[in-house]
Amino acid sequence: MAIEREQLEADVLIVGAGPGGLACALHLANLFEKHAAANKTPALSAENIYVLEKGREVGAHQLSGAIMDPRALRELVPDFEKTAPLDTPVTSDAVYYFTEGESYKFPITPPPLQNHGNYVVSVSKLVKWLGGLVEKKGINLFTQFAGREPIYARDGIAGVITEDKGVDKNGKPKDNFTPGYELRAKVTVLAEGARGSLTKEMVNKLRLDGLNPQIYGIGIKELWDVQPGRIETGFVAHSLGWPLTSDLYGGGWIYGMQNNRVSVGMVVALEYKNPLFDPHEAFQKFKTHPTVKKILEGGKLVRYGAKTVPYGGWYSMPRNFVDGGLIIGDSASVLNSQRLKGIHTAIKTGMLAAETIYEALCKGDTSAETLSAYQKKVDESWVKKELWEVRNFHQAFHAGLVPGLVQSGLQFVTGGRGLVDPMRSEPGYMDYKKRNRSAHLVDQSLRYKGDGKLTFDRLTDVYHSGTRHEEDQPCHLIVLEPNICIDRCIREYGNPCQYFCPAAVYEMVTEKGAPKLKINASNCVHCKTCDIADPYQIINWVPPEGGGGPNYEGM
Amino acid sequence: MKILLITEQREGKWNGVSFETLAAAQQIVQHTKGSLTGVVVGKGVAPLADQLAAYQIDEVLLVENDLLDRYTPDGYSLALRQVIESVKPDLVLLPHTYQVRDFAPKLAASMNKGMIGDCIDYRYDNGKLIFVRQMFQGRTSADVVFTAEGPWVASFQASAFRADLVTKHASGKAPVKSVAVELKPEQIRTKPLELFREAKQAVDLTSAPILVSVGRGIKAPENIALAEKLAKAMHGEICASRPICDEGWLPMDRQIGSSGQTVAPKLYLALGISGAIQHVVGMKGSRTIAAINKDQNAPIFEIADYGIVGDLFEIVPALIEEFEKTA
Repeated sequence: MAIEREQLEADVLIVGAGPGGLACALHLANLFEKHAAANKTPALSAENIYVLEKGREVGAHQLSGAIMDPRALRELVPDFEKTAPLDTPVTSDAVYYFTEGESYKFPITPPPLQNHGNYVVSVSKLVKWLGGLVEKKGINLFTQFAGREPIYARDGIAGVITEDKGVDKNGKPKDNFTPGYELRAKVTVLAEGARGSLTKEMVNKLRLDGLNPQIYGIGIKELWDVQPGRIETGFVAHSLGWPLTSDLYGGGWIYGMQNNRVSVGMVVALEYKNPLFDPHEAFQKFKTHPTVKKILEGGKLVRYGAKTVPYGGWYSMPRNFVDGGLIIGDSASVLNSQRLKGIHTAIKTGMLAAETIYEALCKGDTSAETLSAYQKKVDESWVKKELWEVRNFHQAFHAGLVPGLVQSGLQFVTGGRGLVDPMRSEPGYMDYKKRNRSAHLVDQSLRYKGDGKLTFDRLTDVYHSGTRHEEDQPCHLIVLEPNICIDRCIREYGNPCQYFCPAAVYEMVTEKGAPKLKINASNCVHCKTCDIADPYQIINWVPPEGGGGPNYEGM
Repeated sequence: MKILLITEQREGKWNGVSFETLAAAQQIVQHTKGSLTGVVVGKGVAPLADQLAAYQIDEVLLVENDLLDRYTPDGYSLALRQVIESVKPDLVLLPHTYQVRDFAPKLAASMNKGMIGDCIDYRYDNGKLIFVRQMFQGRTSADVVFTAEGPWVASFQASAFRADLVTKHASGKAPVKSVAVELKPEQIRTKPLELFREAKQAVDLTSAPILVSVGRGIKAPENIALAEKLAKAMHGEICASRPICDEGWLPMDRQIGSSGQTVAPKLYLALGISGAIQHVVGMKGSRTIAAINKDQNAPIFEIADYGIVGDLFEIVPALIEEFEKTA
């Protein structure tokens, strides 16, 4: 039965209330205010800007390290230092190389990791604050609503349909069934963050891929309250090496925040050979390194989370403008993977999108041709300058840490060109080495358990993510060909979903003597790793009923 | 504006939301300086029509027919369409009840008219009647107007208006007029059976003094019966950890833990439950916790007052036997 949906029309629809989406909304509202003050036509109202956010509240799904370069926020909110919840300015920084048990401090911090003038922030708190500014402008910000499918029109997008609410496990409507809304807009902005589900769909459908496929890392983070005196507020440290082997691209971080709070985490590129590599376990081991342990020991785990990071940079950027649509922020691959920063570029591209949309609305033309001004604005801004210099950075490390350091050094002195330009890359899942063994299940009870004080198993960590979903709803992790899991993957790769998922969602179980994939969807922290790292690309992550997911307060 | 108010009754008893909608209708009539006609539908409902006539209303129509004795969507929409076509109102108002949700869209569509359902308010603005309804789960309210020719059909949400604000009739009583409608039995495609109330055995786990809880260790759905037998022998209720309810082996309202219920019985007996923190937060307040698990390192033993390391399929039958002996 076709569902009859209520329709709403907006001028601008922004999907995702992260730094980019909210910056876009806020900057647009500012432009509308100036427009109104100058009595210009057509009449433009902030009420006709809609923002969708799948989280329980604004900020609930925001996770980052985070060190923020304040450059873009200063442009958006010039006096941000007075009101924004900035945790602490960076006071000192260090980079370490870890071996098991030892650490070697780099004599000087490499320039990309120098953070003088930057702030350690909770991106969740920052975004909550931005959300407040956005709501004050009269913009309609709808939390607990996800964009479920794009509405295609012309050679682009005309809006989105939000998810149906009140559907049971078997797809049948429950008493509280509410069909999703059909939200149509002159311009739809996809600001979904890394591996957005609508962005993925639209980029595939309209063939918007960049030169390289997007490459991702998985970031896993814990927030700790530690004993006083363990770390200086504003001290930020990054590490390379142990427990990661030199064929893995990634590293750890530990940041000292106010009130003895510590952000500790690890990012690892989702391009590795061993399909049984477990990023969560690697992160737990990282915490046992003496340098980290001496800070955390005796402290308390406050919160846990995981999220993917788009590493691809400039050459992985999809075409970011279509008829009636723009893509910004992490969805648009504007994160600087060398500096590990993307909040500033997300905010900036949000603002540039806002300027483009404002001009298009004034002109009454939202075609791709008019909206292509966005790409020009990006090209002429510091975003391109910053990303262009590191356009081959991540690719250089594909062969390993040492060749990567050599090549990136060369790139540094040649303005980003290096030995090969552009350096091409393949999707990370293609790196897995086949195992080709018999089809038996590995006893999962032998998996890493942690000591329950410094280190934890995944379920305990998931508990600390505050993740909650309505249990009686269709599984939002759609396995397109479930037979592959038990016929091929079990032999070829040993079901890596059980290992890369940092939230214990995927589990191979035995039912009536036969292996079966069990999906604990309600554990999902919305990191999208499965959608990215599955070797057969048969997992499709779609948003669950709005409001479900983690609660990253303070992250 | 000529308004037709359709009330709701069942077995000769009012659905109270009818009077909230009456209050709304009276207010709209004041703004638009129009007339208000009330409708009572059913069989043997003349006393209700009389009661309605005591309120500030211009006329009450009593629509009675043998085929309207029990509610059917066909009967109601066919009958009311005839009433609407003879009265020719500008606006038809209904209380937004389950029954109205069932037939009103059909009624409106049969006349090729739109309907604005579940309104929470109205505004009268420069001669224009604007309906207000909630969207995005109440996060915003939308102004909705009819653009086509009447009759318009709209319904008001329960509690949107206060029934105690209805005004009584100024001069005693409004006239009650019987209106005949033509209905043929073959037009009614649904056959209502006896009314019943769902005999849902609501489990209140939070007040049960003894709970027997099962986890993954129970292995297969057919083994649940064993745990149920134990629960019965102990005069307790059965409940479970998330994976069991997730598999559908027990209903979701028996799930204990962070995404289920939180309980604190006198005795909580955990069978084959490992004791993940998600489960423990839902039962750690129990006065006495006993656990049976094969794995001596299972975290459940950290919070258990009594524990048995062993196979529940051996221990539970023995327990049942003992409890049945003492019963």
